Amino acid sequence: MERWALVSGLRGDLDLYEQIQADIKKQRGAAHLFVLGDMISPDRNCDALLTRLRRPKRGDLQPNCIYGWWEEQLLVDYGYRGDQKAEVRSDPDGATTMHQLREAVSQEHINWLASLQFGFIELDCGLIHGSSADVGDPLKETTSPLILLDRLTRLDVNRLFTARSGQQFRLQLTGGQIQSKVKDPTGEQQREQAVPKRSVIGIGSGEKYTLYDPASDRVEFLSVAVRSRLSNLGFG
Amino acid sequence: MQQTWLITGPPGCGKTNWIRETLLNHGGACAYLRLDGATHEELGLGHNAGIDQGWLMDQIPQLEDWSGSAPSSSVPSDDRFVLIEAQQFSSSTQSGDGLDPQIKQQLQRFNLTPDRTLHFGIDPDLPKQDTLDFTELEAWHLALQGCVWDPNSLSSFWFELVNGAYGDVYRAKALMNMPDGRSFFCNWMVSQSGSQFLPLQAVAPPTGRPNRLSHLVIQGKGLIPTGIESTILDCLLSDDVLELQQAPLRDQQPNLQPTL
Amino acid sequence: MAHAVISCLHANLAAFEAVLDDIDQQGITTITCLGDLVGYGPQPNEVVELVQQRAIPTCQGCWDEDIIDGLNACECSYPSQLAERRGHQAHHWTADRLTDNNKAFLATLPITLRRDKLLFVHGSPNSQHEYLLPDMNAFAALERVETAGAETLFCGHTHQPYVRELSGGSIRVSVQQHGNGPATEQEMTLPMRRIVNAGSVGEPRHGTTKATYVVHDDNTGNVSIREVDYDVAKTCRAIVEAGLPDVFAWRLSHGFEYAERAEDASHVCER
Repeated sequence: MERWALVSGLRGDLDLYEQIQADIKKQRGAAHLFVLGDMISPDRNCDALLTRLRRPKRGDLQPNCIYGWWEEQLLVDYGYRGDQKAEVRSDPDGATTMHQLREAVSQEHINWLASLQFGFIELDCGLIHGSSADVGDPLKETTSPLILLDRLTRLDVNRLFTARSGQQFRLQLTGGQIQSKVKDPTGEQQREQAVPKRSVIGIGSGEKYTLYDPASDRVEFLSVAVRSRLSNLGFG
Repeated sequence: MQQTWLITGPPGCGKTNWIRETLLNHGGACAYLRLDGATHEELGLGHNAGIDQGWLMDQIPQLEDWSGSAPSSSVPSDDRFVLIEAQQFSSSTQSGDGLDPQIKQQLQRFNLTPDRTLHFGIDPDLPKQDTLDFTELEAWHLALQGCVWDPNSLSSFWFELVNGAYGDVYRAKALMNMPDGRSFFCNWMVSQSGSQFLPLQAVAPPTGRPNRLSHLVIQGKGLIPTGIESTILDCLLSDDVLELQQAPLRDQQPNLQPTL
Repeated sequence: MAHAVISCLHANLAAFEAVLDDIDQQGITTITCLGDLVGYGPQPNEVVELVQQRAIPTCQGCWDEDIIDGLNACECSYPSQLAERRGHQAHHWTADRLTDNNKAFLATLPITLRRDKLLFVHGSPNSQHEYLLPDMNAFAALERVETAGAETLFCGHTHQPYVRELSGGSIRVSVQQHGNGPATEQEMTLPMRRIVNAGSVGEPRHGTTKATYVVHDDNTGNVSIREVDYDVAKTCRAIVEAGLPDVFAWRLSHGFEYAERAEDASHVCER
């Protein structure tokens, strides 16, 4: 079985994406690329990256993309989520940030972003930007295990790959149990429920990405050296 | 040599089921004819909407349908097995053979003489059924040609119907269309436990409203037709909704085109 | 001290009055209501006004929200077209009948109520539409209470009363970080928490026609589920006289819900 490459937080950086593509090629057996959101940001013009994701060049590993927090901000602002207000607008510089974000993504990509799914379920693994509770849910290794278990249960998956926190970690649930006693008009029942052997994996963000082998359940945390990106700032 | 049997009995005693099994076991050439039931005051006959013959024709491909008129006796007889069904509330004591005169008249018209007559509830060769003692019975029916049901709504409606939401229903049977092209034979009798929902073999393509028999027939007491019709209306799919459900099914079968 | 929690009145005045009588006879003066004052039943104004008259603190239910916000419940709340049509019919009827004052009252209802370590919600702390069923994953159930910062969570919405105690819990984890150092092991001990579902006053779904509610004693911690007989025929007559579908009366009189709910209890409909 072939390995998965899990990437997030490209934030419009085509150069970074190309570096990661090249790095993945150097690793053995990675054949599936998942891009878990935050492909856009207000930092830079994102059109070139989005075009490349939608129309990969020969030699690129085909990316499977889902939307993340920044995509959600843009789609909410464009009215794709009903009457909601984009969360980022509540920040002190929110209006400016949203203006920059809108400028960073041209209209031709909006419908494509709106068509992206919230997450993937592959081989009993959930691949999501935040969690099924919220796209902005920042699951970390320090998040309460009770909450992490809840997020796994909501998707009913054995492995949950998340990117929002930007951290790379693997938290495995290794044991535990709970007693549940239920009384209703018909009587009383007691049951013990064991903690399932499940994991939450933070895949990193930006230059930090992760390789996963579904066959061996092995996770490898990687990072590409970041080239100077001064020339990529702004919209030139 | 052709064998002709006449099967009689009250509604819901299991005539059609027994006929189906008997014909399947026979396996050879066969024909079916349903006579109009014997009418009595106070006892509403289930409308002969063709539900039973529609069901039997689907289940037994070689079955000849004699519901129009029986072939003339000049057709060479062979090993054809002819089953005639008639609703009769009780084994009539008006004549020695237990047959109601109205049934006998129809047999004469079709020029049919049964070699054997079996009465449900009387003849030991037939399965024992809890046949009810009907003294007063209303009947109601609704043509559903071209109508397609939301499947979960049909479940709810049928549950309400057989549990008394629209009057005391003793007998209900129907052929109902589903959006995926299947048709179901729905059958309920108050003396039996549980309803039957049996899919027909023939499946219509998901290209609009199917052009085949669909009907609901009910017998009971204190029936509430307005309530029944109102609920049915809420269960049936509009053109738009039907198209929404059928389009993905057609995508899986690219040669089909919508007809709505 | 004992207090009562009621829920899901669904405009059923006879049931509500019977429950209030039952509470009064026990000398209980503190009552909290978990919403769904209206919806399907024939007496929305009378029920809302009685809640106000008795000054019962109430949180907003999903039906109360629907009436205020307008009909925009997602279709997957209903498992069938029939249930959806009946739901919409009940919604329009209720919205037409409710006075502006009573609608304004429903709009003021908070989503949750809190008293010390007790939290009162309609569905769950996350949503008025989430069902907390008695057999939901025990850890997920505990998470609902714990994340909300409560020790006992009172909820309704399912119309099936129960008391669930979650205790003796622990979770062990092993954490590996980038850098491939050794994994660190941790154990989290989980506190004892309870979820109490008050069932329904006006549209019971637990197998009988009796209205249900719960009584909780703050001091002893004891919770009892109360079942109360009421004049179902009176409400059925009111349904018919009000011009609501006759079949609603049949369903209520047989202990069935007015319209079936979707099977996926964990689904939270997105507006």
